[in-house]
Parts: sequence; structure tokens; C-alpha cells
Amino acid sequence: MGSMTGLARRAALATLVALGLGGPALAQQAPATLVVARNMDVNSLDPHRGFCDTCQIVFDALYDTLVTIGPDNRTPVPRLATRWEASADLTRWTFHLDPRARFASGRAVEAADVAWSFRRLAATRASSSFLAGDIERIETPDAHTVTVHLKAANSEFIGIAAAPYMAVVDRVAAEAAGIRAEGEVAQDGGDRWFGENSAGSGPFTLARYRPNDELRLARNANYWRDAPAFAEVVIRQAAGAAVQGQLLASGGADIALQLDTETARALPRDRATVQVLPSPNFIYLAIAPGAPAAQGRFTPEVREAISLAVDRAAMIEFVLGGAGKPQASPIPNGFPGSAGLEVPGTDLARARQMLAAAGHGRGFDVDFTFPAINSYGADMSLVAQRLQQDLGRVGIRLRLQPATFPVWVQQMRAAQLPMTIGYYAPDYFGSAQYVNFFGIMEGTPWFTRAGGGNLPSIANGELRGLLTRALAAPEAEREAAFQAVARSMMGDRIILPLLSPDLVIAHRPGLQGVRYSTCCNLPLAEIRPR
Amino acid sequence: MWRRALASPAALLALLVLGFWVVTAITVPWWGLPDPTESVGRRFQPPGGAFPLGTDALGRCVLSRTLHGARLSLPLAFCVVVGAAALGVLLGAIAGFLGGAADWLLSRAADIALAFPPVLLALAVAATLGPGLLNAGLAMLAVWWPIYLRLMRAQVRGVMRMEHVQAAVTVGSTPAAILRRHVVPLCTTPILVALPLDLGQVILLGAGLSFVGLGAPPPAPEWGLMVAEGATTLHRWWLVAGPGVAILSVVLACTLLGDRLREQGRG
Repeated sequence: MGSMTGLARRAALATLVALGLGGPALAQQAPATLVVARNMDVNSLDPHRGFCDTCQIVFDALYDTLVTIGPDNRTPVPRLATRWEASADLTRWTFHLDPRARFASGRAVEAADVAWSFRRLAATRASSSFLAGDIERIETPDAHTVTVHLKAANSEFIGIAAAPYMAVVDRVAAEAAGIRAEGEVAQDGGDRWFGENSAGSGPFTLARYRPNDELRLARNANYWRDAPAFAEVVIRQAAGAAVQGQLLASGGADIALQLDTETARALPRDRATVQVLPSPNFIYLAIAPGAPAAQGRFTPEVREAISLAVDRAAMIEFVLGGAGKPQASPIPNGFPGSAGLEVPGTDLARARQMLAAAGHGRGFDVDFTFPAINSYGADMSLVAQRLQQDLGRVGIRLRLQPATFPVWVQQMRAAQLPMTIGYYAPDYFGSAQYVNFFGIMEGTPWFTRAGGGNLPSIANGELRGLLTRALAAPEAEREAAFQAVARSMMGDRIILPLLSPDLVIAHRPGLQGVRYSTCCNLPLAEIRPR
Repeated sequence: MWRRALASPAALLALLVLGFWVVTAITVPWWGLPDPTESVGRRFQPPGGAFPLGTDALGRCVLSRTLHGARLSLPLAFCVVVGAAALGVLLGAIAGFLGGAADWLLSRAADIALAFPPVLLALAVAATLGPGLLNAGLAMLAVWWPIYLRLMRAQVRGVMRMEHVQAAVTVGSTPAAILRRHVVPLCTTPILVALPLDLGQVILLGAGLSFVGLGAPPPAPEWGLMVAEGATTLHRWWLVAGPGVAILSVVLACTLLGDRLREQGRG
């Protein structure tokens, strides 16, 4: 039966190839070109405005950051800065720039470019601006030294500095085009200009961008470090795992990053090398006790009962075919504070008991709006349906309502959803982002979304103090400090991680250096022919 | 007409197929099949053994889901077609009988609705109303009523020129009586012929709306939704085979029956 299934898979893919859905084998025609098939989610190519997974890949290729995260996905390694040091209180970070660093224009990268770029990131007030939000001031004592003063201790600033959104831009080229770092930044035309030009010191330059079609990068002729192997990289719009898999199988693409395990398993082995890796991405169940539609039902006891009703192992099996990991807290596996945490178990009898004690012996109905999308290989509709089954066993009847992504986001932000599911991928390597996003404390997005405005009692009173301590902790105590943060968030039971999908990276067999990076997603410059 | 139509083996077969699905829709809860919304096996089990049509991504029995799907698709399509026919016939009769401003107004309203491609209009209405089976039904109703209005209006205008109708007008019969006794009975044949044809088309459109997420919400065993869920894993052919064959059989049966009735109607 196994061989028949394999045959069927190959037949299905062969049929698609025969139908010509892949078009000409671009990757085979031009070996100097690397083709990546992706569903492009680019909202802007302005490095200080764009905020998306594809943006991470593109900004990392076009712009240098002070540091980057090494292949172990934990350790900061030099990029523009050859070395760096932090003050004892972790509020002052000094970076020493590599004097060899040059922009694509040929001009040397100076400390003033770094300061200008960080100021601009903060001034654009874009989704990524929070990364520069803690910067109090920046000093540039000489052309190759940058000192960043933070408003408060932050042991994770080095991880933030590695985020592609902290891109260092050629301020001279940008200012000549009217791009600003201060004043009327919102109207500086950055979206348009950066959509047609790049002004970085990264391994590639922007050749062309056609929304919903392709994004073309050309090798930076003035690149100051080892030149990338490919003269050109094309990111080709391909919506959906099936299309991406077919492109890879037909030779229309060299790399596909958004495959689910089912599609990956169907790829012919002679056409694709598949890596299945643990990822920091995760899918979570979110409960909003303060949402009007929650009708005050979601007390701490009911939230605990919900957590006890979820069968996380079955969810991973049914939704991901086993290609995923359970995750204990909103701080994902592999990030500071995640080690050694126990994943909540399933106990239906206790869940029913707790619900009965809370006055819900007969259960209750609740609307459950979710985004009808596939996220990081997990079909959110399957997640919702599996949850419906799990919670149905203890009498909580979910009325599933699939919604388009914009509708879901709007309702979620307005605290209109009593329960929903969401997904998250890191913006940089560091755990504070999860606390600042998911933590139930005044000012965070999820305090609002959980209905904290209507029900302030849901606030976690100790969380901010724990976070401050963790960010100021010396390296030896940092893991334990973040673990205390993670445990505190677990106790809230407002964000319940359900699963962490494994990352599926598929590429044609002749490539090496294809890897997932926690800071930069897919470092294009590291990819080369075998 | 029906008796003559059923003399054809194709039409008889079509009626048997439709009969099977109607009986299934009514009786399937008592067949002892697994719950169509619950995981009862391993995911993606190929057809065989306890699951003749295999299982889906959540380990649900595809056969059970396909058969239970008739309980959603058939009543929905029936309600839409009957509703559209009732509305269209009523408005068409008014337009054709009264003429003048009423005719102009109703005909232009129908023209506007018919100016849009049916699928596009249904998508737009369903997207505006939001996902759900009821809203999908309303969206399809918005597409279909003008078809019946045009059909009925043309029939009424033709019948109104007949001598016996003119005589009824002359002797002073009331408009309602003329319509009820002399006009409507002569206009029903094309409507009855159109009904089964449209039933198939509505099932197809309903499945299409569910396919794009504007019809039945999960975990409903709706045929279009099942095809959508199976379409992402093409090599698991059994996920789409069950609902696909169900849609095909019903639509084909409706078309065969409708064609045969139309031929008999012309004869």
C-alpha cells in the first residue's frame, strides 16, 4: 500500500508538471539565478517600515545589521560590527564597526549611518518601530564607533540589533532621495523609493520588484565581504504549498519554504531535498475574559479547564501529521526561559469537574472566529476543528466562524473575540518580545485584546517586575529569570500555546547553505551550489 | 409530460440517482455510520476496511461525511430553487400582467442582477453577508430570482395575447382571477422544466461558495467544503473522490432529467 501511495503522489505531481503549471524551468535555464518560491507578504520594502517574513529575507539580503545570529540560532556573530560590549548595567551598548564596510554606492559605512537608521526606524512608527523604542540616544564618538543608550537595561538588545529591521541604510543616498530620519517621516516617500531602490551594504541590491509577481535581487558588485555565489536571486510569488511544491518538482524554483509536511512528503526525492526542523513559530489558543461576548465566563478556573481539555499530542498528530512539537509557554522552544518547562497535560475528568464547580456543568456555547489561512504549515481550520472536538468533550461548544485575515485581525484588535487562535513567529532572537506582546499587563497588545480594558482584574501584577529583572539579569541568571517570566504567563492561561509546527525547507539537491535563521529567516547569501 | 419523460432510461436513471440522495439525506442518521464531525480513525487512512472511502486530515470517515453532506447540499439547493422560483414567478406574473411602470421597474431590476456573471454576483453577495450556509443560500437566491422573473414574464406576455384571456378581460373578470384561472396555469411548464436543471446548477454553485470559504463553516460535511479541504493534498485522492462523485452524480442527474423534461415540453 505504501508503494501505491508513493506512486499516486508522484502521479499527482507529474500531472501538474504535465499541465504546465510551473511554466519554464527558470532555475534550470539560468544556473546563476536562485529562485525562491514564496507567498510574498511584503507590505513595504522600506526597511524601516516593512514588517513581514519575506521582508526579513529581503532586508537581510539588501542591508547589513550590526550583528547577526550564527548558525546555532542563538549566538550573535559579527556583521557590520567586529566587536561590541555592554555596560555592566546593560543600558549602554557600544559597537565597533568594520572599517572595510562599504555601501553598494561605494561609500564607507559610518557610525552616523547607524544612528540615522535607528532614529528613522523609531520615527516611522511602523510595526517594527518597537525594536528601536527603547533607545534613549545614540552617540557616535568616531566614524567607526556607535554607542546606543537604552532607557532601561536590556540584555536582549544584541538580539534586537540582529533583526533585519535594524537595517543600516546609506543615509547620504537616502537623504538625496528625500528620505528623512526626523520630522515628517510619514510623508518622506520611503515606501515608493525603497520599492524601486535599495541603499544598503548587504550582499545584494534590489533589481526589480513587481508586487504579486516577483522580487529580483542582483549581486552587490561592491560587496565588502565574500561575494554571494548567485549573481541573481528571484523571489517568485507562489501562493500555497501545493503550488510551491509543484514549482520545485518541475524545476521552476530552487527553494520552497512554506511547505507543509504532506506536500513535502509528496515531492520526488530526486528533485528535492527536504529538511524538517524544529521552529520557534507557534499556534496558540487565545481566551479573552474581558471581551463582551465572553459574558464573564472565562474565570481562571474555566481557563484552566479549557487548558486541561486540549489534547496537544493529538492536535500535533492530526494537524501536522506529527511534524511539530508541543510548547509549554508563550516563550517558544529554544528561546531564553523555555528550557525545562512542562507542557500542560490533558485531564478531561478534572476539566469537567472544574467547569461544574464554576457553574457550567452543562457547558456553554461560544463563538469562535479564526483566520482561514495556512500558517507555517498548519491549517488553522484544522486546528479550530480539532479544538472544537476537544472542548466539546467537556461541554464547551465552539461555533466555528472562519474569517478572512483582515476581518479576523480587526475583530481581534477590537477585543471582540471571546476565543480565537493565532500564530506567531519571532521578530528577533529574544524572549522579551513575547512578554511585551502576549503578557497580560497594561500596554501590551494582548492585554487589550483579552479585554483588559473591560476587566482590569485579568492583569498579571508581577509580570512587569519579572521582565525587568530578566532583562537586567547577568548572563548566568538569565535563563532562570526568563523561566520565571514564562511560568507567570503560563499561570494566566490566556495565551495557550497549542503546537509549534516543524519548519519544512525543501530545495533542489544541488544546493548547500540553505538554513532557517531565527533572526533572518533565510540567509540568501549563504546559499551556494554544491 | 413527466410520464413521457420517464420513459427514457437516462431520465429513469437520473431519477433513481436523485431518489437515492433524497432517501440518503432523510435516513442517513440511522445508518449507524460514524459521526461525520468526529475523529474516529488515523488521519489520511486510504480507502478500505472500516473506512470504505478512507479518512480525512482529522481522521473523520469520508464516506460518512459524504453521505451526511446530502443533508446540507440538497435541502439548501431545493430551498434556493423553490424560493427563487416562487419569487421570480410572482414578480414575473405581476410584470407581465400589469405592464407599464411596474413591468419596467421589475424588468430593469432583473436586468441589473443578470448583468453580473452569476458566480461573481453570488460571491459578492455571500462575501458581503459573511460566511454561512444561510447567507450562501441568500446569495444564490439573489442570482436566481431574475431568471424566473424573465421566464414567467415572457410566458405571461404571450398568454395574455390569447383569445380566451382577452375574452375574460372583456367580460370583466378581476385581474387576480384572470391570472389565477387563465394565465398562470398555461405558464408553469417552462418553470417546471427549469427547476431540475437549476437544482443541479445551484448545488454546483453552493459547493463553489463553500469551496472558497463562503458557504458552510467547518466542520460541516458540506461537499464543496470537503473538496476544498482535500484540494491541498492532491495525492490523497480519496478526500475529494467522495464529495466529487456526489456533486457529479446529483448535477448530472438533474441535468439529464431537466433536458428530458425540456424535450418532452417541446414535443
